[in-house]
Amino acid sequence: MTDSQISLRADSLPKASLSLERRYSLLGLLLIAPTVLVLSAVIVYPLCFAIYLSLFSIYTPTLQGSWVGLDNYAQVFGSGTFWFSLFVTLIWTAGTLFLQIVFGVAMAVILNQNIFLRSLARSLVLFPYFISTVVAVLAWRWIFNDLYGILSFILIKIGIIDMPLDFLGSMPNAMVSVIAVGAWKFFPFVVIAVLARLQTIPEQLYEAATMDGAGPIGRFFDITLPQLRDVLTIVILLRAIWDFKEFDLIFLLTGGGPLNNTRTLPLIVYQEAFGLNRMGMAAAYAVAMMLIMLAFMLIYLHRARERPA
Amino acid sequence: MVAVTFDKVRKVFGSVVAIPALDLAIGSGEFVSLLGPSGCGKTTTLRMLAGLEQPSGGRILIGDRVVNDQPPAARDIAMVFQSYALYPHMTVAENIAYPLRKRGVPKAERPAKVKAVAELLQLGPLLDRKPRQLSGGQQQRVALGRALVREPKVFLLDEPLSNLDAKLRAHMRAELIELHRRLGKTMVYVTHDQLEAMTMSTRIAVMQGGELQQFDTPAEIYHRPANRFVASFIGTPAMTLIDGAVAVDNQRHVLHLGELAIALPLQALDLKQASEKVTVGVRPEDVLIGTGEDKALIRIVEPTGHESIVTLNAGGVTFTARVPGDRRLTAGETVPFELRRDNIHVFDQVSGRRLNSHG
Amino acid sequence: MTARQSIKTIAVNLLAWALVLVISFPLIWMVVTSLRPQSELIRIPPSLIPKGITFEHYARMLWETPFLRYFGNSMILAVSTTALVVLIGTLGAYSLVRFTYRGRETLATLVLFTYLLPSVVLILPLYLLMVKIGLANTLPSLVIAYTTFALPYALWLLRSFMAGIPEDLESAALVDGASRIGAFIDVVLPQALPGIISTALFTFILAWNEYLYALVLVNSDQARPLTTGVMNMLITSFNIEWSLLMAASVMMSIPLIIIFTFLQSHLTRGFGAGGVKG
Repeated sequence: MTDSQISLRADSLPKASLSLERRYSLLGLLLIAPTVLVLSAVIVYPLCFAIYLSLFSIYTPTLQGSWVGLDNYAQVFGSGTFWFSLFVTLIWTAGTLFLQIVFGVAMAVILNQNIFLRSLARSLVLFPYFISTVVAVLAWRWIFNDLYGILSFILIKIGIIDMPLDFLGSMPNAMVSVIAVGAWKFFPFVVIAVLARLQTIPEQLYEAATMDGAGPIGRFFDITLPQLRDVLTIVILLRAIWDFKEFDLIFLLTGGGPLNNTRTLPLIVYQEAFGLNRMGMAAAYAVAMMLIMLAFMLIYLHRARERPA
Repeated sequence: MVAVTFDKVRKVFGSVVAIPALDLAIGSGEFVSLLGPSGCGKTTTLRMLAGLEQPSGGRILIGDRVVNDQPPAARDIAMVFQSYALYPHMTVAENIAYPLRKRGVPKAERPAKVKAVAELLQLGPLLDRKPRQLSGGQQQRVALGRALVREPKVFLLDEPLSNLDAKLRAHMRAELIELHRRLGKTMVYVTHDQLEAMTMSTRIAVMQGGELQQFDTPAEIYHRPANRFVASFIGTPAMTLIDGAVAVDNQRHVLHLGELAIALPLQALDLKQASEKVTVGVRPEDVLIGTGEDKALIRIVEPTGHESIVTLNAGGVTFTARVPGDRRLTAGETVPFELRRDNIHVFDQVSGRRLNSHG
Repeated sequence: MTARQSIKTIAVNLLAWALVLVISFPLIWMVVTSLRPQSELIRIPPSLIPKGITFEHYARMLWETPFLRYFGNSMILAVSTTALVVLIGTLGAYSLVRFTYRGRETLATLVLFTYLLPSVVLILPLYLLMVKIGLANTLPSLVIAYTTFALPYALWLLRSFMAGIPEDLESAALVDGASRIGAFIDVVLPQALPGIISTALFTFILAWNEYLYALVLVNSDQARPLTTGVMNMLITSFNIEWSLLMAASVMMSIPLIIIFTFLQSHLTRGFGAGGVKG
C-alpha cells in the first residue's frame, strides 16, 4: 500500500479504526470464542430452552409433551405449593445467611489475632467449605442419628434434654438443623473474604482509635465494620444467591421433609421433573424461581448503590 | 536525514482530544526530549511511536516508512520503560537475550552479543540473577541492555530515571549522555524533569495540553522561550512573571508593571497583532541587586550555600533574584535594584506568545 | 508483656481454639468413627472415646464395593474438566483483560451472570440435550456439564489475576519483537502461573464435589462418580452401615486433604485476588 493511499485513509477518516487496531480486536475475539461457544451451547441455549419447556406439559421418561401455554405458570402461582415453598426458601436463606455472616466475621476477627498455630487453626476452619456436600451430609446425619448419634448423647449428658432428639424428622428441628449445617458448611467463604480484607486495614487506624479512648467493642464497630462494608456487600449478595439456589445440602439432609417443611424451591424443581415426571411444570417452577432471585438481586444492588460511599 | 516524523498526528480517547495535531521531525542521531508536566501527552506520543497506542489520525514515519499499521515488533525500535519491565521469571542474561530470541538471531550468536552489552553496562557479574535480586540502578541498566542488544534504529526511553534516587539519577544522566555520544543513535526521551532534558538533549520538544510549545535546542529554549508556558516551565527558580501593560512613549516602549516603568528601545518588541496587555518575565539571574535607580524591599533571603534566593518587592511587584552566596543581605533591607534590559522577556498576556522581536 | 496482656492473650487463644475444635468436630468425629470396630458403633448410648482402631471398614470399602471404580471416574472427570476449563478460561480471560472489541464489557457481565444461575434450571434442558446427542449416562456428558458451570468462575478468577500483571511487561515483549501470542506465552503465562494453579485447584474441587449434575445425567454404575456413587450405596443397601459410609467419606476427601495441606496458599489466594473484589 503506497503512502498516499495510507494518508488518504488516515486523514479523511479520523475516527475509523486503523487496521492494526482491528487486527488486535479480531485476535481478542478469537481468544474468547471458545468461551462464548461453550457458554452459549451449555448455558444460554439450555436457559432459553428451559423457558420454552415451561410452556409445555412433558412426561419425563418419554419426553413426550403438548403445548399448554401459560397453564403451568397459572398452576405455579395459583397453588399454595409455590408460595409455601418460597416461604420455606426465604426462611432457610435468611437463617443460614445470617449465621454465615455473623460467624464468618467473628471467626475472621479472631483468626486475625496472633494465635498459637494460627495457620493450622485457619486450615481447620476453612475445611468444611472444601469438602463435598455429600461428605458433609454424611458426617452430620451420623451425628444427628437418633440411635447412635453423638449429638443427642452429648446434649443428654450436659442435661439440656433427656430424650434423644429427632433432628431431621420433625419441625422446627429439621429447619434449624438444615440452617445450622448450611452455616457450618458455607461460613468459611465469608471468613476467607473478610480475613483478606482485615489484613489490609492499617494498624494505625486502630492505634488512633485507642488513643481516642475506644475499647475493643468500639474499635470493632467504628473502625473494622466500616472498612468491611464493601467486602460484605459483595459477600452477602453472593452467599444469598448461592444459599437461595442450594440444592445438594437440603436434598441430601432431609429430602425436603418432614412434610415438605424444608422443601425449598430448587427441590421442588427436581421433584417435579424426576419425581412427578412433569418436566414442563418443573421448568415453570425454575423460571419462577429465577425471576424471584432476579428481583431480589436488583433491589439489593439498588439499595447498596444508593448508600453514600 | 530524518529519523522520526510525526505528521499531523492526532490522538483521541473517547471524547477527550489528548493530542489535536502534532507535527515533529526528529533528525537521525539526535537526542530529543519530550518535556512537559504530567498529562501533557508526551508519554502518549512516545507510545504511539512505539506502536503501543494507535494514532486516531495523521501519520508516523520512521525513516521514510509509514509505520501506523505496523506492530511494535516490526518497527525496529527499542524501549526502556519507567518501571523497567524486566521479565521477572527470567535471569538478567535471558532478559537481555529475549529480543535476540524474538528476532531469530541464531542461538550460537546470542551469548556473545549479550556478553558485549553486559560489559558495556557493567552487568557481567549479574547475568545469572533474577530481577528481584537487583537494586533499582542495576535493574535500570538491564533494561538499557535489553534495549541496546538489538541495535535498533531508534531508542525510546520513558522517564527511565524517575524511580532512582537523586545521586544515582545524576550518575545515570552522565552515563546516558556518554552512551549517546558513543553510539550516535537516535534517542527519544520522555521526562518531566527539565534538568534531565536540558543536560542530555540535542533538542527539546516542550509539550503542554497535547500541543507542542517549542522545539529547539536547550539554549534557545532557555534564553528565548517561545511563550509564557515554556518560560515559566524551564528554569529553577522559576522566572518571575508579572502582568502589566505596554505603551508607546517618545520613541520607546514603556512597560508598566505595578508602579514600575521600564523603558525599552522601539525595536525591542514586535507588537503587531498584540494587545496592550503583556506579561513580563525576568529570570532570577537578571534581577540585579545593588545597582540601579529603583529601590526594592527585601522580604525573604534563602541561602543555599553557593548562592542565595532573594524575594523582593518593588513598586508593588514581587521579584525573585539570585545572588552569589557571599553577598550579605537581610530581610527588611531596602536596596537599589534594576533589571537587565537585554534579557527581559515580554509575552502577550492573552495568547502567551513571545513578543521580543529578535528571537 | 503485662499480666493483663498475658491473660488477654491466653483468653483469646482459648476462645479461638475452642471454636476451632467445635467447628472441626463433625469431621474429626467422622474420622474417628471410620476407625472404630463395628462392635463399638452399635452401642447405645454411644461412647465418645474409641477403644480400638481398625481399618476393616476401609478395606471393605475398597475391595467389596465399586468404590474404586467411582474414585477412578471422579478422577478422570475432575482432571478432564480442569484441563478443559483452564485452557479455555486462560485464553478467554486474556482476551477480556487485554483486548478491546465491541461488546467486551457486555460479555464480561453476561459471563458473571451465568455464574449466578441455579443449576436446577439448567439440568433439565441439559439432560434433554445429552439424550439427544447420545451422551446420556456417560462421563463425557459430565465433563461438558461441569465445564459449563466451572468456566464462569474460572474466568472471573483468571481475569483478576491477569489484570494484576503489569501491562508494561507485555509492552516490553511486543517492542522486543514478540507477537501478541508470543508475549502471552513468554510473559503472561509464567506470571499468571500462580493464578492458573489456583483456578485449576478450585475447578478440580468443584468437579470432584459436584452432586446434582451427576445425579441427573448419569444413572449407570459404570460412569458414576464418587458423590452419587457413595450416596447410591447408602440408599440401595439394606442396612445403612455408617462405618462404611464414614470410611468412604474420608477416602472421598483425600484429594482435598492433599490439596489443602500442601497447596492452601493457592486456594486462599484465589479468594483474595479474584474471589470477592468487585
